[in-house]
Amino acid sequence: MKLKTLAIDLGEFKPLQESTPGQMPEPTTAGWYIDPRTGERVFYDPDTHKFYTLAGGVYIPLGYMNPAPKQVTLAPGEKLRINMSFKYSGPAISSAICYYSIGVYGLFGFDEKMVGQNSKSLPQYTTPTQVTDSYTFTLPTNVGNDWDDIYCKIYGGSPGVPQTLFGYEQALLIVGKDPTISEFMIADFAKV
Amino acid sequence: MTLDVVFAPMALEPGTFNVGDKVRVTVSFKYVIGVNTTVKLLAGPYYTNLFGKHMVSSCVGQADIDLPASSTPADGSGTVDFILVAKSLGGIENGTYGLRVWIEGTNAVAEQDNVLIVSGNSSGGDMFSSMMPMLMMVMMLGMIMPMTQQIGEGTEEG
Repeated sequence: MKLKTLAIDLGEFKPLQESTPGQMPEPTTAGWYIDPRTGERVFYDPDTHKFYTLAGGVYIPLGYMNPAPKQVTLAPGEKLRINMSFKYSGPAISSAICYYSIGVYGLFGFDEKMVGQNSKSLPQYTTPTQVTDSYTFTLPTNVGNDWDDIYCKIYGGSPGVPQTLFGYEQALLIVGKDPTISEFMIADFAKV
Repeated sequence: MTLDVVFAPMALEPGTFNVGDKVRVTVSFKYVIGVNTTVKLLAGPYYTNLFGKHMVSSCVGQADIDLPASSTPADGSGTVDFILVAKSLGGIENGTYGLRVWIEGTNAVAEQDNVLIVSGNSSGGDMFSSMMPMLMMVMMLGMIMPMTQQIGEGTEEG
Protein backbone atom coordinates (compact mmCIF):
# COMPACT_ATOMS: atom_id res chain seq x y z
CA MET A 1 0.00 0.00 0.00
CA LYS A 2 1.35 3.40 -0.97
CA LEU A 3 2.43 5.89 1.64
CA LYS A 4 1.25 9.40 0.84
CA THR A 5 2.78 12.53 2.28
CA LEU A 6 1.92 16.10 2.96
CA ALA A 7 4.54 18.67 3.92
CA ILE A 8 3.91 21.65 6.19
CA ASP A 9 6.35 24.46 6.83
CA LEU A 10 5.89 26.19 10.18
CA GLY A 11 8.26 28.98 9.28
CA GLU A 12 10.85 30.36 11.64
CA PHE A 13 10.65 30.79 15.39
CA LYS A 14 12.77 31.21 18.50
CA PRO A 15 12.40 30.24 22.16
CA LEU A 16 9.98 32.25 24.26
CA GLN A 17 12.77 33.68 26.41
CA GLU A 18 14.65 35.04 23.46
CA SER A 19 13.73 38.44 22.07
CA THR A 20 15.44 40.06 19.15
CA PRO A 21 16.16 43.79 19.61
CA GLY A 22 13.91 45.87 17.39
CA GLN A 23 11.32 43.14 17.10
CA MET A 24 7.95 43.66 18.76
CA PRO A 25 7.92 41.48 21.90
CA GLU A 26 5.13 39.03 22.47
CA PRO A 27 2.45 40.60 24.69
CA THR A 28 2.43 39.51 28.32
CA THR A 29 -1.18 40.25 29.14
CA ALA A 30 -4.43 39.23 27.57
CA GLY A 31 -6.13 41.90 25.52
CA TRP A 32 -6.79 43.46 22.15
CA TYR A 33 -3.88 44.51 19.98
CA ILE A 34 -3.43 45.90 16.50
CA ASP A 35 -1.63 43.62 14.08
CA PRO A 36 1.10 45.93 12.66
CA ARG A 37 1.10 44.11 9.34
CA THR A 38 -2.62 44.19 8.61
CA GLY A 39 -4.03 46.79 10.99
CA GLU A 40 -6.53 44.18 12.10
CA ARG A 41 -7.66 44.05 15.72
CA VAL A 42 -6.48 40.82 17.31
CA PHE A 43 -6.93 39.33 20.75
CA TYR A 44 -3.94 37.81 22.56
CA ASP A 45 -4.28 34.89 24.96
CA PRO A 46 -1.07 34.51 27.03
CA ASP A 47 -2.07 31.03 28.22
CA THR A 48 -1.99 29.55 24.75
CA HIS A 49 0.41 32.18 23.34
CA LYS A 50 -2.03 32.64 20.47
CA PHE A 51 -3.62 35.56 18.71
CA TYR A 52 -7.28 35.34 17.83
CA THR A 53 -9.54 37.23 15.50
CA LEU A 54 -13.24 37.64 16.18
CA ALA A 55 -15.56 36.29 13.50
CA GLY A 56 -19.29 35.90 14.07
CA GLY A 57 -18.78 36.01 17.82
CA VAL A 58 -16.28 33.16 17.75
CA TYR A 59 -12.61 33.62 18.53
CA ILE A 60 -10.52 31.92 15.89
CA PRO A 61 -6.76 31.53 16.09
CA LEU A 62 -5.36 34.02 13.64
CA GLY A 63 -4.50 32.72 10.24
CA TYR A 64 -3.30 29.23 11.04
CA MET A 65 -5.46 27.44 8.48
CA ASN A 66 -4.65 27.91 4.84
CA PRO A 67 -5.81 26.55 1.49
CA ALA A 68 -4.02 23.30 0.74
CA PRO A 69 -1.45 23.46 -2.07
CA LYS A 70 -2.50 19.97 -3.16
CA GLN A 71 -5.09 17.35 -2.31
CA VAL A 72 -4.12 13.82 -1.37
CA THR A 73 -6.60 11.03 -2.06
CA LEU A 74 -6.83 8.48 0.74
CA ALA A 75 -8.86 5.38 1.45
CA PRO A 76 -9.44 3.46 4.70
CA GLY A 77 -6.33 1.51 5.64
CA GLU A 78 -3.99 3.77 3.71
CA LYS A 79 -1.24 5.71 5.41
CA LEU A 80 -0.67 9.45 5.37
CA ARG A 81 2.65 10.86 6.44
CA ILE A 82 2.69 14.54 7.38
CA ASN A 83 6.07 16.19 7.21
CA MET A 84 6.60 19.27 9.36
CA SER A 85 9.50 21.62 8.80
CA PHE A 86 10.56 24.84 10.46
CA LYS A 87 13.63 26.95 11.07
CA TYR A 88 14.98 27.29 14.55
CA SER A 89 17.73 29.33 16.18
CA GLY A 90 18.40 29.45 19.90
CA PRO A 91 19.49 27.31 22.80
CA ALA A 92 19.09 23.59 22.97
CA ILE A 93 15.52 22.53 23.74
CA SER A 94 14.48 19.22 25.14
CA SER A 95 11.15 17.49 24.74
CA ALA A 96 9.24 19.96 22.61
CA ILE A 97 6.03 18.47 21.26
CA CYS A 98 5.44 18.14 17.53
CA TYR A 99 1.68 17.62 17.28
CA TYR A 100 -0.33 16.46 14.26
CA SER A 101 -4.05 16.19 13.65
CA ILE A 102 -6.52 15.17 10.95
CA GLY A 103 -10.06 16.44 11.38
CA VAL A 104 -12.81 18.77 10.39
CA TYR A 105 -12.20 22.51 10.37
CA GLY A 106 -15.29 24.66 10.64
CA LEU A 107 -16.85 27.73 12.19
CA PHE A 108 -16.20 26.49 15.69
CA GLY A 109 -12.59 25.57 15.17
CA PHE A 110 -10.80 22.36 14.42
CA ASP A 111 -12.57 19.15 15.41
CA GLU A 112 -9.70 16.70 15.87
CA LYS A 113 -10.56 13.20 14.66
CA MET A 114 -7.07 11.72 14.76
CA VAL A 115 -4.03 13.04 16.61
CA GLY A 116 -0.41 12.05 16.95
CA GLN A 117 2.67 13.59 18.47
CA ASN A 118 6.41 13.23 18.72
CA SER A 119 8.77 14.47 21.39
CA LYS A 120 11.46 16.55 19.76
CA SER A 121 14.76 17.75 21.19
CA LEU A 122 16.57 20.51 19.37
CA PRO A 123 20.30 21.23 19.61
CA GLN A 124 21.60 24.77 19.97
CA TYR A 125 21.61 26.70 16.71
CA THR A 126 23.18 30.14 16.31
CA THR A 127 21.62 30.70 12.88
CA PRO A 128 18.15 29.76 11.61
CA THR A 129 18.42 26.10 10.77
CA GLN A 130 15.93 23.85 9.04
CA VAL A 131 14.42 21.20 11.32
CA THR A 132 12.00 18.51 10.22
CA ASP A 133 9.71 16.03 11.88
CA SER A 134 7.02 13.70 10.62
CA TYR A 135 4.16 11.52 11.76
CA THR A 136 2.33 8.76 9.91
CA PHE A 137 -1.40 8.18 10.29
CA THR A 138 -3.26 5.04 9.22
CA LEU A 139 -6.82 5.84 8.22
CA PRO A 140 -9.43 3.72 10.04
CA THR A 141 -12.27 1.95 8.28
CA ASN A 142 -14.78 4.38 9.76
CA VAL A 143 -13.03 7.45 8.36
CA GLY A 144 -15.51 10.20 7.51
CA ASN A 145 -15.61 11.75 4.07
CA ASP A 146 -15.32 15.15 5.78
CA TRP A 147 -12.04 14.39 7.56
CA ASP A 148 -10.24 16.47 5.01
CA ASP A 149 -8.37 19.07 7.07
CA ILE A 150 -5.00 18.77 8.77
CA TYR A 151 -2.91 20.89 11.06
CA CYS A 152 0.24 20.57 13.08
CA LYS A 153 1.92 22.57 15.80
CA ILE A 154 5.00 22.64 17.96
CA TYR A 155 4.95 23.72 21.58
CA GLY A 156 6.35 23.09 25.04
CA GLY A 157 9.75 21.68 25.90
CA SER A 158 12.43 23.06 28.14
CA PRO A 159 13.04 25.91 27.67
CA GLY A 160 9.65 26.29 26.06
CA VAL A 161 9.02 27.19 22.46
CA PRO A 162 6.01 29.35 21.58
CA GLN A 163 3.11 27.36 20.25
CA THR A 164 3.21 27.64 16.49
CA LEU A 165 0.36 26.27 14.39
CA PHE A 166 -0.14 25.72 10.72
CA GLY A 167 -2.79 23.81 8.84
CA TYR A 168 -4.34 23.11 5.50
CA GLU A 169 -8.04 23.10 4.66
CA GLN A 170 -9.35 20.39 2.31
CA ALA A 171 -5.95 18.80 2.05
CA LEU A 172 -7.39 15.30 1.83
CA LEU A 173 -9.90 13.62 -0.43
CA ILE A 174 -11.26 10.74 1.59
CA VAL A 175 -12.45 7.87 -0.52
CA GLY A 176 -14.94 6.00 1.63
CA LYS A 177 -17.37 3.14 1.16
CA ASP A 178 -19.50 4.97 -1.42
CA PRO A 179 -18.13 5.08 -4.96
CA THR A 180 -17.44 8.30 -6.81
CA ILE A 181 -18.13 7.68 -10.48
CA SER A 182 -17.15 9.84 -13.42
CA GLU A 183 -17.11 9.63 -17.22
CA PHE A 184 -20.06 7.24 -17.14
CA MET A 185 -21.20 6.48 -20.69
CA ILE A 186 -22.95 3.89 -22.81
CA ALA A 187 -20.27 2.13 -24.83
CA ASP A 188 -22.60 -0.10 -26.83
CA PHE A 189 -26.00 -1.77 -26.95
CA ALA A 190 -27.14 -4.67 -29.10
CA LYS A 191 -29.57 -7.56 -29.32
CA VAL A 192 -28.27 -10.80 -27.83
CA MET B 1 -0.97 29.10 -34.87
CA THR B 2 -2.44 25.82 -33.77
CA LEU B 3 -5.94 24.58 -34.12
CA ASP B 4 -7.21 22.34 -31.36
CA VAL B 5 -9.85 19.95 -32.58
CA VAL B 6 -11.80 17.93 -30.07
CA PHE B 7 -13.98 15.11 -31.24
CA ALA B 8 -17.17 14.74 -29.29
CA PRO B 9 -18.13 11.20 -28.28
CA MET B 10 -20.03 9.60 -31.15
CA ALA B 11 -23.74 9.35 -30.55
CA LEU B 12 -25.23 5.89 -30.40
CA GLU B 13 -26.76 4.62 -33.62
CA PRO B 14 -30.46 3.75 -33.33
CA GLY B 15 -31.23 0.04 -33.36
CA THR B 16 -34.36 -1.84 -34.38
CA PHE B 17 -35.73 -4.49 -32.03
CA ASN B 18 -38.72 -6.75 -31.77
CA VAL B 19 -40.65 -7.21 -28.60
CA GLY B 20 -39.27 -10.22 -26.79
CA ASP B 21 -35.70 -9.33 -27.76
CA LYS B 22 -33.03 -9.20 -25.11
CA VAL B 23 -30.87 -6.07 -25.32
CA ARG B 24 -27.37 -6.00 -23.83
CA VAL B 25 -25.96 -2.62 -22.83
CA THR B 26 -22.27 -2.07 -22.12
CA VAL B 27 -21.10 0.91 -20.07
CA SER B 28 -17.70 2.31 -19.21
CA PHE B 29 -16.74 4.69 -16.42
CA LYS B 30 -14.06 5.70 -13.97
CA TYR B 31 -14.44 5.32 -10.23
CA VAL B 32 -12.76 5.67 -6.87
CA ILE B 33 -13.85 3.82 -3.76
CA GLY B 34 -12.26 2.98 -0.45
CA VAL B 35 -13.43 -0.58 -0.01
CA ASN B 36 -14.35 -3.48 -2.28
CA THR B 37 -18.01 -3.15 -3.09
CA THR B 38 -20.76 -4.26 -5.44
CA VAL B 39 -23.02 -1.78 -7.17
CA LYS B 40 -26.21 -2.30 -9.12
CA LEU B 41 -26.30 -1.34 -12.80
CA LEU B 42 -29.73 -0.78 -14.33
CA ALA B 43 -30.87 -0.12 -17.89
CA GLY B 44 -34.10 0.20 -19.80
CA PRO B 45 -36.13 2.10 -22.39
CA TYR B 46 -37.84 5.38 -21.68
CA TYR B 47 -40.37 7.52 -23.49
CA THR B 48 -40.83 11.27 -23.43
CA ASN B 49 -44.07 13.18 -23.24
CA LEU B 50 -45.32 16.55 -22.08
CA PHE B 51 -44.55 15.65 -18.46
CA GLY B 52 -40.99 14.51 -19.01
CA LYS B 53 -39.20 11.22 -19.37
CA HIS B 54 -40.69 7.99 -18.09
CA MET B 55 -39.08 4.60 -17.78
CA VAL B 56 -40.91 1.57 -19.13
CA SER B 57 -40.52 -0.12 -15.80
CA SER B 58 -41.52 -3.58 -16.98
CA CYS B 59 -38.51 -3.61 -19.30
CA VAL B 60 -35.80 -2.45 -16.88
CA GLY B 61 -32.99 -4.93 -16.32
CA GLN B 62 -30.31 -4.97 -13.67
CA ALA B 63 -26.92 -6.53 -13.00
CA ASP B 64 -24.29 -6.41 -10.26
CA ILE B 65 -20.84 -4.96 -10.86
CA ASP B 66 -17.92 -5.62 -8.52
CA LEU B 67 -15.70 -2.61 -7.88
CA PRO B 68 -12.34 -3.40 -6.30
CA ALA B 69 -11.12 -0.69 -3.91
CA SER B 70 -9.12 2.03 -5.63
CA SER B 71 -8.14 5.41 -4.26
CA THR B 72 -7.07 6.64 -7.67
CA PRO B 73 -9.47 6.81 -10.63
CA ALA B 74 -9.76 3.30 -12.04
CA ASP B 75 -11.43 2.11 -15.24
CA GLY B 76 -14.69 0.31 -14.71
CA SER B 77 -17.12 -1.34 -17.09
CA GLY B 78 -20.21 -3.45 -16.93
CA THR B 79 -23.00 -5.03 -18.93
CA VAL B 80 -26.67 -5.29 -18.20
CA ASP B 81 -29.43 -7.06 -20.13
CA PHE B 82 -33.07 -6.13 -20.39
CA ILE B 83 -35.96 -7.71 -22.27
CA LEU B 84 -38.44 -5.78 -24.38
CA VAL B 85 -41.59 -7.25 -22.88
CA ALA B 86 -44.54 -7.28 -25.29
CA LYS B 87 -47.40 -4.86 -24.78
CA SER B 88 -49.85 -7.74 -24.38
CA LEU B 89 -47.82 -8.81 -21.32
CA GLY B 90 -47.91 -5.37 -19.78
CA GLY B 91 -44.75 -4.22 -21.51
CA ILE B 92 -43.69 -1.83 -24.22
CA GLU B 93 -45.68 -0.52 -27.17
CA ASN B 94 -44.35 -0.24 -30.68
CA GLY B 95 -42.48 3.02 -31.14
CA THR B 96 -39.20 4.79 -30.64
CA TYR B 97 -37.66 4.99 -27.18
CA GLY B 98 -34.63 6.39 -25.43
CA LEU B 99 -32.11 4.25 -23.59
CA ARG B 100 -31.11 5.05 -20.02
CA VAL B 101 -28.45 3.34 -17.92
CA TRP B 102 -27.58 4.19 -14.33
CA ILE B 103 -25.87 2.93 -11.22
CA GLU B 104 -28.14 2.74 -8.22
CA GLY B 105 -27.29 5.05 -5.33
CA THR B 106 -24.91 7.22 -7.33
CA ASN B 107 -25.15 10.13 -9.73
CA ALA B 108 -23.94 7.97 -12.62
CA VAL B 109 -26.56 8.23 -15.37
CA ALA B 110 -26.22 7.99 -19.14
CA GLU B 111 -29.05 8.21 -21.63
CA GLN B 112 -29.80 8.93 -25.24
CA ASP B 113 -33.10 9.70 -26.88
CA ASN B 114 -34.61 7.78 -29.80
CA VAL B 115 -32.20 4.89 -30.09
CA LEU B 116 -34.55 1.95 -29.49
CA ILE B 117 -37.00 1.37 -32.31
CA VAL B 118 -39.45 -1.22 -31.08
CA SER B 119 -41.90 -3.15 -33.21
CA GLY B 120 -43.48 -6.59 -33.37
CA ASN B 121 -46.41 -6.22 -31.03
CA SER B 122 -49.33 -8.29 -32.35
CA SER B 123 -51.74 -6.32 -34.53
CA GLY B 124 -54.81 -7.33 -32.47
CA GLY B 125 -54.25 -4.66 -29.91
CA ASP B 126 -53.38 -2.15 -32.58
CA MET B 127 -56.55 -2.85 -34.56
CA PHE B 128 -58.63 -2.21 -31.49
CA SER B 129 -56.72 0.99 -30.81
CA SER B 130 -57.17 2.22 -34.36
CA MET B 131 -60.89 1.45 -34.26
CA MET B 132 -61.41 3.30 -30.97
CA PRO B 133 -61.87 6.78 -32.52
CA MET B 134 -64.35 5.43 -35.06
CA LEU B 135 -66.31 3.62 -32.35
CA MET B 136 -66.35 6.78 -30.25
CA MET B 137 -67.65 8.76 -33.22
CA VAL B 138 -70.43 6.27 -33.85
CA MET B 139 -71.39 6.28 -30.18
CA MET B 140 -71.51 10.07 -30.10
CA LEU B 141 -73.59 10.20 -33.26
CA GLY B 142 -75.91 7.65 -31.71
CA MET B 143 -76.36 9.94 -28.71
CA ILE B 144 -76.68 13.15 -30.68
CA MET B 145 -79.15 12.00 -33.36
CA PRO B 146 -82.06 11.24 -30.98
CA MET B 147 -81.48 14.60 -29.26
CA THR B 148 -81.65 16.55 -32.55
CA GLN B 149 -84.79 14.65 -33.51
CA GLN B 150 -86.44 15.58 -30.21
CA ILE B 151 -85.48 19.24 -30.67
CA GLY B 152 -86.86 19.22 -34.24
CA GLU B 153 -90.13 17.74 -33.08
CA GLY B 154 -90.40 20.36 -30.33
CA THR B 155 -89.94 23.18 -32.89
CA GLU B 156 -92.71 21.83 -35.11
CA GLU B 157 -95.05 21.75 -32.14
CA GLY B 158 -94.26 25.44 -31.37
